[in-house]
Amino acid sequence: MLTLGAGSLDFRNINGDDSFLVRVSVNRALPRPLRTDRAFLSHAPHHAAAIPDGFQLYIFVGEGGTDPSEVIGSNPTVILPSSFDYLGEADILRISPHRRTVRTLYRNSARFNTVLLTEQCNSYCLMCSQPPKTTDDSWIVDETLRLIPLIDPSAAELCFSGGEPTLLGSGLIRILKSTNALLPNTSVHVLSNGRRFSDLEFAVEYASIGHHDIMVGIPLYSDLSTHHDYVVQADGAFDETIRGILNLKRAKARVELRVVIHKQTYARLPQLAEFIARNLLFVDHVALMGLELTGFTKANLGQLWIDPYDYQQELEAAVAHLARHRMNVSIYNHQLCVLRPSLWEFARQSISDWKNEYIPECQSCSLRTRCGGFFTSGLLKPSEHIHAIADLPPLLGN
Amino acid sequence: MRFEPLERYTKSLEEGYKLLPFLFTALDDKRYVLTNQAGQYAILDRPTLDDFVRHHLPADKSEYSTLKSRHFLLDSDSSVALDLLALKVRTKNALFADFTALHLFVVTLRCEHSCPYCQVSRQNDDKPTFDMSKETADKALALVFKSPSPLIKIEFQGGEPTLNFGLIKYIVEQAETINKVEARDLEFVIATNLALISDEILDFCRAHNVLISTSLDGPADLHNRNRPRPGGDSYQRTIAGISRVRNALGRDRVSAIMTTTEASLGRVKDIIDEYVRLGFGCIFLRPLSPYGFAVKTKSYSAYDVNKWLDFYFQGLDYIIDLNKNGLVFAESYASIILTKIHTPFESGYIDLRSPAGIGLGALVYNYDGDVYASDESRMLAEMGDKTFRLGNVHTYTWEQLITSDALLTPLEESFAGSVPMCSDCAFQPYCGSDPVFHYATQGDYIGHKPSSAFCARNMAIIRRLIGLLEGDEETRRILNRWIRI
Amino acid sequence: MMVTPLEDAAPNDGISAYELRVSSEAFSWVSIKKAAYCFSGRCSFDFQSDGKEIICKLLFPRPQSPKIVASIELAFRNELLDQDLRVRIAEETTPLRNAVLAFAFSKTGIQDQDEI
Repeated sequence: MLTLGAGSLDFRNINGDDSFLVRVSVNRALPRPLRTDRAFLSHAPHHAAAIPDGFQLYIFVGEGGTDPSEVIGSNPTVILPSSFDYLGEADILRISPHRRTVRTLYRNSARFNTVLLTEQCNSYCLMCSQPPKTTDDSWIVDETLRLIPLIDPSAAELCFSGGEPTLLGSGLIRILKSTNALLPNTSVHVLSNGRRFSDLEFAVEYASIGHHDIMVGIPLYSDLSTHHDYVVQADGAFDETIRGILNLKRAKARVELRVVIHKQTYARLPQLAEFIARNLLFVDHVALMGLELTGFTKANLGQLWIDPYDYQQELEAAVAHLARHRMNVSIYNHQLCVLRPSLWEFARQSISDWKNEYIPECQSCSLRTRCGGFFTSGLLKPSEHIHAIADLPPLLGN
Repeated sequence: MRFEPLERYTKSLEEGYKLLPFLFTALDDKRYVLTNQAGQYAILDRPTLDDFVRHHLPADKSEYSTLKSRHFLLDSDSSVALDLLALKVRTKNALFADFTALHLFVVTLRCEHSCPYCQVSRQNDDKPTFDMSKETADKALALVFKSPSPLIKIEFQGGEPTLNFGLIKYIVEQAETINKVEARDLEFVIATNLALISDEILDFCRAHNVLISTSLDGPADLHNRNRPRPGGDSYQRTIAGISRVRNALGRDRVSAIMTTTEASLGRVKDIIDEYVRLGFGCIFLRPLSPYGFAVKTKSYSAYDVNKWLDFYFQGLDYIIDLNKNGLVFAESYASIILTKIHTPFESGYIDLRSPAGIGLGALVYNYDGDVYASDESRMLAEMGDKTFRLGNVHTYTWEQLITSDALLTPLEESFAGSVPMCSDCAFQPYCGSDPVFHYATQGDYIGHKPSSAFCARNMAIIRRLIGLLEGDEETRRILNRWIRI
Repeated sequence: MMVTPLEDAAPNDGISAYELRVSSEAFSWVSIKKAAYCFSGRCSFDFQSDGKEIICKLLFPRPQSPKIVASIELAFRNELLDQDLRVRIAEETTPLRNAVLAFAFSKTGIQDQDEI
C-alpha cells in the first residue's frame, strides 16, 4: 500500500489533464442514471462488496479494510488521505489530474458555503482576510457557472466573496442569475465593498435580476470618510460605498452593513451607529464582527489588535443605539464570555461548523452550545478574558 | 504590501471646509445648539462656534469630527453629505404627502358634565338638535376617504359622544364597508368621559377594535373640581370606567389625557401619581388652554407661561426620578420632541408641525356638517369666531375645503421657515407653528414670537430636553427610551 | 455699547427711554433690526442714524432699574453678535441650502456626481 505524501494524491485511470467538477455520493443504491456524473465516496474501512459500479469516479478516503487497488479495476479513482474525512453526500470537488490535486469547493453539510469569485480587489483593507492579487482569475466565473448546477437545491445559504466580486461585472450578474434559476430555495449573500454600485446602471442591473432572496454585505468602518478610506486604504472609497448603498436601495435591493471591530474602528463605533441610524436607516441588517486573524491582519497586528473585552462599552452603546432605532443587528465572531450580557441576544453562532474551536476554559462553560467559539486562527490570540460561565437562571440560559 | 498611515488620508483636510446650512440658538449662557435641515444637532461653545464659522476650526479637534459626521460641514475628502442631507430632508417631509390622517367627528354636543374649561357642550339636551345626522355623517365619511393618507384615524368627540352611540356604530360600520375597497389602515377612537359606558358599547368596541380615550385630570378632588357633573362623581365613574374598559377590551385599549387648569398647577406630582397608580405608561402634561379665557379676557400672559413651565419641569423631573427608581413611564410631550430630535420622522402630533397641522394633519366634522381645520378651530368658532371654518360637508367638495383660503392663508403665513425669529431659530426642526393659537391670543396667524406663550413654552422645553440629553448618562438613557419609532 | 437714560424724555409721557449706540460699520441694519425684534416683547425700539453710529432707543412704559437695563444691554449686544454671525452663515450656505431642498423634492433626489 502506497503511503501518500502530503504534496500529491494518488490518481488512477484518469485520462486527460483538464480539471473537472464532480458531486460526491455515499449512496450505494443511487439510481443508475444518476451515477454517471457522480463520484462514489468510500470512507475507510473500505469493503469490496460495498463498492457499487457505474459511477464516473471513485474516491477512497483513508486507509483500512480492503485495499482500493484490489477493487478499482480500470475505473477512474482518487485515493485521499484521512484529512478528507469530512467529505460527505452532495459535496462538490474539483479534481485536477495534471496537478494531482483535489479541492473541496462545496460542503453540503455546512450551514453555508462561501465561493471565492476573484482575488482581485479595488480596496486594500488593513485587515483583509483574502489579500488581493492582480492575476487574471476570470476562469473562476466559468467554473462557478459549472458549480452552481451541481449544488443540491436544498442548500439553505450560499455566499459569494472575493476579493471584490463586483469587479466581474456581467460575470457576477450571470452567476447570480444562475443561482436564482437553479437554486430557488437558497439564500444568497454577496460580500462586496459596494463601490461599483455607485454606478447607478450597475446597481439597477444587479437589482433587475429579481433574485428571490439575496443581500449584499457591505463594510462601513467609520462615520468619517478619512477613517474609512484609511482602513480600506483607498481614497474616495467612503463616498463610493455610500453612493453604492444609496443606489442599491433606490433599486430596492437588500443591503447589509458589516463593521469589523478592531483598534482602528472601535473608538467611533457609537458615532458610526448614530451615523447609520440617521443616514442609512433603511439597510436591512447591521453585522458587527470580530477580527479574523488571517491575511493582512497578521502583518498589521500592532495597529489592529485590541482585546474585545476592552471595547465592550463602545460596542454596547452602538448596539443599543441601532436596536433602539429598530434596526436588525447581529454580532459575529465574539465569544459570549467577553460580551456584556446585554449583547448576548445579538450574538450569532456564525462560525461555520467545521471551524468551531474551543479552548480548555470552555469545557465547563454552561453557554458552550450557544457560543460560536473561535476560529482556528483566533486561537492564536484569544481575549485575555475568556472564562467559563457558571449555570445561569433559566431566563438567560436559553 | 504597502500600507499608508492615517495622515495620508487626512492630508486633504488641510484644504479647509465649507459650511453646510445650519441654524444656531443659545442653549444656555455658555453653549449653543446648532441644527441642520435634517434636524440633527450639535453643541458648541461660543468661541468654537465663531472659529467654525470663520473656517478656523482645526480638523484634529473632536468638534470637527462631530460636525462633519452630523453634516454641518463639507470638506474636500467627501461630498456625499449633500446626497444624504437631501435624503433626510425628503424623509422628514414625507409625512406631508400623506395628508390628513386624523378625522374628528363631533357626533353630538350633548353632555351631562359641565366642565368650566369646555367651550362646546350643551347640557341636559335630549333633543337631536345638537346631534350629527346620518346624512352629515355619510357626507363626512366620503370626505375622509378623499384624503390619500394610508392611515385613517377616526376619532369621535362631543359633548359626550356616547350619548349618540347609535351614530358612532353607524359611522364605524360604514367606514369599514368603504374600507373594504380603500384598504387603508383604519383606526377608531372614542373620546369619552366613561360616565355612561355600557356593556353594549364595550361589546361593539371589542368587535370593531375601537380604542377609548378618556379624561383624567388628577386625583379625585382635582378631577371632580375640574369636571363637575350631577352627583359630583366624575372621578369615580372614570376610574370604574377605565377598569371596565380594560377588562372588556384589553389593558392597552384605553388611554387618558389630562386638562391643565389653574388648580392643577401646584399638583403635578399628585396628578402623575394618579396616572402611575392606574398603570398608565405615560402622561401628557398639557399646556393651559387659551380658548375661552384668552378670547374673552385677552389676558394670556407670560406669567401664566412661567407658572406652567414650573409645573411642567417639576413634573418632568419627577417622572425622570420615577424612571431612575425602576418605573417605565414617559412624559408624552417630551416624547414627541425627543422623537423629532433623534429620528427623521415627523410625529403625527398636530400642534407641533410646520407647515402647521391644521387641515394637513387633522380635520373636524362638526355635528352640523361644518368642517374645521382643527379642534381648536372649532372651539374658537364656539366662542363666536369662525375664521378657521373651512366649509360644510353638504356644500363643499374635498378640493374646495383643502384649497380654501381659510386653510391655505394661515398655513402659508405661519410657516416657521419664513417668519421672524422662527426662521433663525435652531429649534425649528423640533417645534412647529400654531396659527390658531396665535390668532386666538395675539390676533394674527404668525404671532409675535417674543411675547408668544407658544414660543416661550417650546423654547424652554426644548432647551431643557437638549440640556438633559447632554447631561448625565442615566437621564439620557431614560429619555432615549421615550423615542417613538 | 453703553446704554444711557435719556434725560430729556418728558416724565409724564409714561415712557422711559434708554439710548444705546451701535457702530454702523460693524453691524448691518438687518442684524440690528433682527436683534431688536427678539427684545420687542420687553421694550419697544426707535432707530436713528448719525453716520458712523446707529442710535437705538429702548422704550419702556416705566423706568427700569440699572440692573435690568444693564442685563438687557448685555443680552442685546450678544444677540447682535449672533445676528451678525447668522448673516455670514446665510451668505455662505444659502446656495447649498437651496440645492439640498431642490434635490430633496425632485424626482431623482440624488445629485449628479459631478455637480456640487
